[in-house]
Amino acid sequence: MTVVFLYFPMSKACSTLSLLALITSVVFHAAAEKLNSSKRDQAILHFEKYCFDCHDEDVQKGNVNMAKWFDAGSFDGTLMFENLITAKMPPENKKQPNAEEKRAMLDWLAKRQAEHKPAPYRRISRHEFVHSLNDLLGIKLDLTGEIPDDRGTFDFDSDRRIKLTKEMLGSYFKVADRMLEFALPSEGFAPERIWVTNKIKDSHKTYNIYTRPYKEGILFSWTRANNGNSYSFFYDNFDPPVPGWYELTFDAMKMGSFPEDVSMEIFAGKYYYADDRPQAQRLLDVISLGNREMKSQKVTVFLRPGENVSVHCYSKHNFRQRNGKQGAYIKQLKARGPILEQWPPASYAKVFGNLPIKAPFREAREASPLQTNLQAIGAKVTVSSFQKGMEKEKMLDGSNRTFWHTRFKPTLAKPPHYVIIENPQAKEIEGLNYATWSGGNGNGQVEAYAIHFSDNGKDWGKPILTGPLEIRLANEQLILFPEKTTKRFIKLLITDAHTLDGRSLASIGKLDVITTLSMDDAIAKVTVSSRSTDDTKQVIKRFAERAFSSSLGIEELAPFYQASLDALEEGEDFVEAAKIGLKAVLCSHRFLMAPGEHENQSYARAASLARTFWLSVPDQESLKISSSDELTIKDIPAQVDRMIKEPRSKRMIHSFCNQWLDLRSFDKIAPSLKLYPLYNDLLNHFLPLETEAYLDYLIRENLPVGRLIDSDFSFLNQRLAQHYGIPGIYGQNMRKVSFKPDVPRGGLLTMGSVLKVTADGFDTSPILRGAWISKNIAGNTLSPPPEEVEVIEPEHGKDAATLREQIEEHKKSQACYACHKSIDPYGFALESFDATGQWREQYRVKKLHRATFVYRPKGYFDLVGKVDPSGEITKEKFSDVFGLKKILLSDHKKIAYNFVKKFFDYANGYKPNLKERLDLFTMIPEEPEQCRMKDLITKTLVYSMESQSE
Amino acid sequence: MNAISRKDFLKAGAALPLALQSLDLRAAAKPKPASPPKRIIFICSCLGFYEPYFFPKKRGDLKTSGYLRDMKTLDKMTVFNNLYHPGMDTSNHDSEKSFLTGSPSPESPTFVNGMSLDQVLAREMGKDTRFPFLNFSIYDRGWGISWNDQGSSIPPMHDESKIFEKLFEKEDLQAKKRQLKNDQNILDCLQRDMVQLRKKGSQPGKLDSYKAAIRELETQLTHEKFWLNTEKPKVENSLSEDPEFAFSTKISNLFELAKLAFRTDSTRVITLSMDWIDGAITVPGTTGGWHTLSHHGGKAEKIESLSKIEIDTLKHFNRFLFEMDQIKEGEGTLLDHTTVVMGSNFGNASNHTCNNLPVIVAGGGYRHQAHTVLEKPTPLCNLYLELLHKHNLDAGGFGSSVADMGLLKG
Repeated sequence: MTVVFLYFPMSKACSTLSLLALITSVVFHAAAEKLNSSKRDQAILHFEKYCFDCHDEDVQKGNVNMAKWFDAGSFDGTLMFENLITAKMPPENKKQPNAEEKRAMLDWLAKRQAEHKPAPYRRISRHEFVHSLNDLLGIKLDLTGEIPDDRGTFDFDSDRRIKLTKEMLGSYFKVADRMLEFALPSEGFAPERIWVTNKIKDSHKTYNIYTRPYKEGILFSWTRANNGNSYSFFYDNFDPPVPGWYELTFDAMKMGSFPEDVSMEIFAGKYYYADDRPQAQRLLDVISLGNREMKSQKVTVFLRPGENVSVHCYSKHNFRQRNGKQGAYIKQLKARGPILEQWPPASYAKVFGNLPIKAPFREAREASPLQTNLQAIGAKVTVSSFQKGMEKEKMLDGSNRTFWHTRFKPTLAKPPHYVIIENPQAKEIEGLNYATWSGGNGNGQVEAYAIHFSDNGKDWGKPILTGPLEIRLANEQLILFPEKTTKRFIKLLITDAHTLDGRSLASIGKLDVITTLSMDDAIAKVTVSSRSTDDTKQVIKRFAERAFSSSLGIEELAPFYQASLDALEEGEDFVEAAKIGLKAVLCSHRFLMAPGEHENQSYARAASLARTFWLSVPDQESLKISSSDELTIKDIPAQVDRMIKEPRSKRMIHSFCNQWLDLRSFDKIAPSLKLYPLYNDLLNHFLPLETEAYLDYLIRENLPVGRLIDSDFSFLNQRLAQHYGIPGIYGQNMRKVSFKPDVPRGGLLTMGSVLKVTADGFDTSPILRGAWISKNIAGNTLSPPPEEVEVIEPEHGKDAATLREQIEEHKKSQACYACHKSIDPYGFALESFDATGQWREQYRVKKLHRATFVYRPKGYFDLVGKVDPSGEITKEKFSDVFGLKKILLSDHKKIAYNFVKKFFDYANGYKPNLKERLDLFTMIPEEPEQCRMKDLITKTLVYSMESQSE
Repeated sequence: MNAISRKDFLKAGAALPLALQSLDLRAAAKPKPASPPKRIIFICSCLGFYEPYFFPKKRGDLKTSGYLRDMKTLDKMTVFNNLYHPGMDTSNHDSEKSFLTGSPSPESPTFVNGMSLDQVLAREMGKDTRFPFLNFSIYDRGWGISWNDQGSSIPPMHDESKIFEKLFEKEDLQAKKRQLKNDQNILDCLQRDMVQLRKKGSQPGKLDSYKAAIRELETQLTHEKFWLNTEKPKVENSLSEDPEFAFSTKISNLFELAKLAFRTDSTRVITLSMDWIDGAITVPGTTGGWHTLSHHGGKAEKIESLSKIEIDTLKHFNRFLFEMDQIKEGEGTLLDHTTVVMGSNFGNASNHTCNNLPVIVAGGGYRHQAHTVLEKPTPLCNLYLELLHKHNLDAGGFGSSVADMGLLKG
């Protein structure tokens, strides 16, 4: 039991208390002391010889009285063990046990301690559930967000202390349904459609400055480095009809003769009008425009109905000029989808194998050019009067940039002002969609209306509905009728309109009817031509064997057979009946609990490896080897090699970075725009990708573990290079970049992702960053913090030195210093980096701004106080982060030991006990260059599996 | 339902599905109770309240509490001094986990939480409503203050529009029926599978935890099936949208939903966890990190900012109580039939200490004492035990309780 859950993600700016919430009560079974007493005596003699000088009854340094513990017999030896194995104790200047003695001491500590036994199984995580279903069904659908996060405050998703609950099971039922439906839809597949558009929806009148019509499309010529309010620009005329994958092709080029690429961020989000609210959007992808000629740029993205596609463009330049000529010219967007990689979709072959699959022709066609519902229902519109140049067509074109206006020249049209809609096909109309026009001074905007219906266009009767309309905003306003109507004539009577000059005027930017258009889409339903019970059984068996990673006998399959066969008997369609059995498989005990029940050890190993590297089930190849029980311990290294090479292993990298390095908290905090005005969502997108690419490379290339601390390369693109001050990197594709020796980057500690996640977006705290290194990289084991200590919060006030002085207070108190000497110094070295990970020599202190905050690229701050990144750790002095890295690198075994402990925890769902730690430590090579990442991972897994086989 | 699985299910000693129990009650033609049903809500503000502003300066006089003096329902409130959870000495934010369970040492690696009070109450009080209980929180971290009988978190709902939809929006009943039938088929299959696995000699412990989840899900399905025949209450959507004060709006809406749920008798047990969020929040008068500010370290400026957040929270609480008290029900008001417990897992969040927890009990028809100062530190679980008794649950103890001290009169 080392570091207990340091609840780091939640305790970002939190106290030293929670960061140090360490070893507490461990349940000991005193009976475990049935040891060879001579070995015990011998070990104790060593302890007396090497430790009692400081830790006996008389001295009790650091409040540690080992003599007393040994007498009592029952104590937690974890801290002693960790200090001894990582050579923290005895201190360097004291006499040291030789290897044999040390081994005897560690052995005894490991054996005497009967640790709390982890549960022999765990529930699979929601990530594993979703990835597995995708692989089993041959689809790509991320529904992880639909399942609650049940990790709680544990470090790793795999933690065995997490129990399966009804709520989780319930959401697995739901998600299994949805994923099966996505793979094998009972309603069939919507046809593929193509939309072409070069129009941007007008979302705020002040946004016009960012874009302008240019040639056949739009030039994004005014942007800014940071968009605290995502000023994105939504494409009109494309609404994804069903959830699915869509291919977006932008015909675009870079304008301007600067060397940097222009980046187009592609978002999905709900469009709404006239609002400065940050619009909740998902970043789908980034297109890097370096091309000065028109080129088609493709991205494939997942979209849901109700989401619109929007773009935003960036370069390092602020194109602050009206009618600018620089930027990104986007001629058009072509959207195609929902796309399927093959027809019939791969999911059918995955599930039904060689059974005859019937798939009708699935058509692809251009989307209807009709833009408005009025056009679609063949409506005719008449108006009371119109001004030349502001005809009714300007109100009916679906855009509120143009408008209809009653006549005011040469003569003023008299009221009543109205619009009459004729509904010749008697379609069901639910109401009207109204918008004011997005310019103007408000003159003529409708303030109140009445709705009348008529069968003949003459007799109107009493109003059906009256009401007011907002004139302030040019957003869309819905006028909903009390109930749907099929009346031939609908009149919108304007009963009051805004007037600045007393004249009776009326204008409308956009008017349309609200109706449900029947989709005449040819749905393509895929069927399997079989009703045979044998076929059903075969389908269930194949699927269950893959899901359970085992060969299965009739008895084991019987419950699942029955589920499908019952349905088949009741007359269900073959595919639908099969889906019931498949869902049962996916919600079953065997699938949801790991390890499952496997026919042989090979299957068990295959399942475990697939879970570790792919967060999924084994592939056909592993299953094939396992079926003849030929995946032996000896074969694991080759399997690890094979699995790491697969793109699916990126899931492991992502998941491990999230959990080990805390990157899952990366998005929780947005850096202050006042202090860090150049930080933007593009950078936010790429920072974690650097870390993942780097770790992936270290593992694939099997590089020495020291590269975690330092190296002369990383994976960067234009935006990251700008952030780090590395010149000459253009384009947003990530690539390996070598650093000159004076660059402080290289290694995890100096990555922006890590530096950001260890700060609170405003200030940096050496304690937080120090604790992060101590826990995640150095693997220090710390004693619990003293109770009720004052918490030091980072505050670079007018006198920035105070923070360091405050922290230096730790030195004065033995109780504090015992731990903080293993925390604070790391953090001091990283003071050279601000809360976004940029290099700094001085601190930034926020300045007040007048009235409302207005963004400006130089921010609002003063520079105060010089950064002092020097410190001392384990009696070794360093002057900056370069020095710190050297000190950390000097003990590669410690870095490797921490890494294997974390990986063990990630893969197995519990922290290794002392015995296991001793074994893991023993596997670490003495030579730094021989101590390699993939080897360490492989050894850890081989070790875990060997002990599981025992 | 499959015969074997049904028998197996009953033999396993499962509790009867909630709705079946209600059916039985109904079958006995029990007359409708004359008095309105009792309800209860627990609210935990996980970063505490700044003590000098929260607790009355003058013993017994709520008018001397900076935060509470302007509350409109002061005569229906009792503020307690000196309640605590034993065993939280070195605890940090994990103390949140124990707010409604009283389980000690939540930061220990071997910690297993207990069942939370609301869940114990929901077993009885949840039988006759569409939702046996509701649990809310302000974001999606997956845990709040409700914990099941295995000590696992019951993931709270946090999205107001989804909660509203669940409570009040019409469903496609045909689709729901099909879905329930499908789920029931799956459950039957899984029951058969477990019988088969047990025969095969699967690890017993492993089966048990899974079985418990299956059993509870089955109970839930039966309950849902029963309620399919009753239409959801029709309620006007009164949730507010104010993007400027998103945090404040969220809390206000969750209180509003709690009120609506009680008013329509959709549930009788609710928890609301105000768990803290990273990054800055904006409430009228201040912007800052709630958590950062809670570590005020005694600095006046930070306390000022922090108090703005706490005042805002209590403003919504005040409105909740007031509006509940405006709704007439039976002889009294909805508030009179609803016990409202507002508190925190922290006494002093700045130091992460857990003694003298701020606790308010409001409503519930008690003869309120305004301010009850306990002479000695007293387990909060004593009050919890009393609440069980007040709601007709015959429990010998709850969590760290020592005794029902009769703190609530009447």
